[in-house]
Amino acid sequence: MFGNVQSTEQSSDHTADAFALQVQGLTKRYGDLVAVHDLNLQIRKGEIFGFLGPNGAGKTTSINMIVGLLSPTSGAVLINGKDRAEVPKRSIGICPQELVLWDELTCAENLIVMGDMYDLPRAVTNERVHSLLAELAFSEKAKTRVSQLSGGLKRRLNIALAVLHDPDIVVLDEPSAGLDPQSRLLLWDFIRSLKGKGKTIILTTHAMEEADALSDRVAIIDHGKLLQLDTPGNLKKTIGAGDVIEMQLAEPEQNETVMNALKSVQGIQEINEVAGKITIRALNALSRLPEIIELVDATHGRVSDISLRENTLEDVFIYLTGRGLRE
Amino acid sequence: MTVRFLSLAVKALKQAIRDRRSLFFLLLFPVVFMVIFGFAFGSPSSLGTGTTPHKIAVINLDRGATVSVNNASHLVSAGANFTELLGNVTYEGTDTHMFNLTNVGADQAQTMLKSRGLDAAITIPENFSQAVVALTNASARAETTSDIGLQVINASGAQAAATSGQLPTNATLPRQSNVTAQVIVEGDTGSAAFGASQGLIFNVLEQYKSQIQATAVREVDATLAQNQSQTNVNYISAAVKPLIGTRSFTFFDYQAPGLIVFALLLQVSSVAQDLARETDRGTLARLKLSNMRSFDLLFGTMLTWIVIAVVQILLLLGVAIALGFKWSGGANSIELAVFIGIIGGIASISLGLLLAAFATNERQAAQLGVLIAVPVSFLTGAFFPLPNETLGAAFGTTFQVYDLLPWTQVADAIRQVLIFGSGLGDVAVYVGFAIILTAILFVIGVISYARVRLRSE
Repeated sequence: MFGNVQSTEQSSDHTADAFALQVQGLTKRYGDLVAVHDLNLQIRKGEIFGFLGPNGAGKTTSINMIVGLLSPTSGAVLINGKDRAEVPKRSIGICPQELVLWDELTCAENLIVMGDMYDLPRAVTNERVHSLLAELAFSEKAKTRVSQLSGGLKRRLNIALAVLHDPDIVVLDEPSAGLDPQSRLLLWDFIRSLKGKGKTIILTTHAMEEADALSDRVAIIDHGKLLQLDTPGNLKKTIGAGDVIEMQLAEPEQNETVMNALKSVQGIQEINEVAGKITIRALNALSRLPEIIELVDATHGRVSDISLRENTLEDVFIYLTGRGLRE
Repeated sequence: MTVRFLSLAVKALKQAIRDRRSLFFLLLFPVVFMVIFGFAFGSPSSLGTGTTPHKIAVINLDRGATVSVNNASHLVSAGANFTELLGNVTYEGTDTHMFNLTNVGADQAQTMLKSRGLDAAITIPENFSQAVVALTNASARAETTSDIGLQVINASGAQAAATSGQLPTNATLPRQSNVTAQVIVEGDTGSAAFGASQGLIFNVLEQYKSQIQATAVREVDATLAQNQSQTNVNYISAAVKPLIGTRSFTFFDYQAPGLIVFALLLQVSSVAQDLARETDRGTLARLKLSNMRSFDLLFGTMLTWIVIAVVQILLLLGVAIALGFKWSGGANSIELAVFIGIIGGIASISLGLLLAAFATNERQAAQLGVLIAVPVSFLTGAFFPLPNETLGAAFGTTFQVYDLLPWTQVADAIRQVLIFGSGLGDVAVYVGFAIILTAILFVIGVISYARVRLRSE
């Protein structure tokens, strides 16, 4: 028995170097409802970790357990190899999905209150307030009351509040909700800058494009269970309905002959004729493109136009979470 | 580094000041009440009249008197007789007693008069029985001499000479005495209830005196000729002694301190609403993730609302004085009233914490606050004196059911301090109970809020 404990500790010591956050068998039950079921995650230091799932999948419940707002029914959360309760609270910063702000205070006052709550010296707080407002491009609003800010600016302040105390782990729950494209790009740059400073970022979002663009790895959960965990590239290559090849033949009357010939190609999941074009779905379609062109030639067909749309993370997401493909 | 609770207190104060609507509710709403009550009750009212029993205390200092009848000594306790008469006398044509007698000492009577627990206090002097004896003797002597004089007038000159100085064989002419006693009727002269009580007491005293005289005359007439005599010496008189600080007292003077307590009670709603808003908005969760401890939030909240309570008290007092409220004791009484008000404020904060612990949202917290604060204001006697619902007695004080509310103690204490200029020693019992009751409420409020809202869910 003592040997097992020692082994676990050794393992912890080993992983503490590599992982900023470890979630071990995390479960949350509300009566008969299991909101999160035996969730296991290992999030590396300095990575942007996409945490995806449809509404009600258990993302926010998991995050609330990770940051300590919610007590798990069972399981553990380790930060840098130590139990979360033993780690200083300043190690984690969270930007919640909702705008969590004091409307009657100015932007700077909101930030200063949280600086005080993390026991930052006022000089340090002032300096960080100044730099954060500049990085998120709303320095001129420092003395503006939150109630007078636009939705986008409130969202930026919400993010600034999460990182004011310079946490090692930043949890961003739907940070870009409601942002215009310009603000979203600014936010993405800011998130990348955090990664550049060595922060570990957990990003939940419904914007698959955002998760794809920012995440080093992505976890997809549904019904409280982890479905997949990998890099966005690997997920797109291996999961889902596949890439889409759209092919226009010079003689559309040959479409049926070509389509019958293509059925012999391995990995092709679906072939349709849509508006005179042949539409082919296949995982990693790019690698299959030479074989497809060969078959068209063999049937004496002539391609007048061809395009390839890659499998997206959204395709993967929808495939995994059990919804049909939307075109 | 700024102390966390101080930072939270400043934050909450800024929020309160910048939230104009809430600030209006908190500060100006009670002021509006004060103005309305000032106009409505700023002059003597007719409250307390009618055929209802008046609550009075009789402080009987009478030592009694010894009289000799047929060579036998008898102790006369006229004070006790008069007290009994006051207790038994009823309104004409009804069974309703004019007075409800309260058995208390002089000090307690003073306290009760100040809190309007009594309509009047009657002090029967030490020599009351002696004065009654003197009145009896004087009446008997007058009747006797009058009868003898009548016989002289009716008889011939020789007979008159013979009968002059003849008394019944077994009687002597009562001695003339110059003992006089004054019954003091004390009370708040601005109170209509006192005015009515005083008039009735004077009336009863006059009847009592008449009965004494009539009895003496009847006894003389039993042996001598019928006659109508009258003594002109006023052996027993009554005088009104205004309670200190109540000259030209109006009902508004009673209500103004109560309205301060009403304002403090409104804090229940505001505190509950503010804390519930922190939960609703998620800012409480944000704070919980920081180094903030429960103490920081609770103490910070308390500091903020204490500051607001002080502003409320001073503002309302200023308005009350502008409307004619008569306060005694100068700056000291205001300082003491503010101190006592802070206790009431902490009681409100505690109740606010309790509501915020269980209210499901900000609106519900505010509604619950008002739902509780307004009825409790009435129960504390903030607006009108309450009927007796005696719970028991301790420390020489009778406790009513509503005395279990800390705000009742605060209201009584502030009233005494502001109206009568009483010091901390005078209101120590009120303040002591207010502190104890507030401490109990505070512990319940803090534990409930910390358990429900400040722990991980």
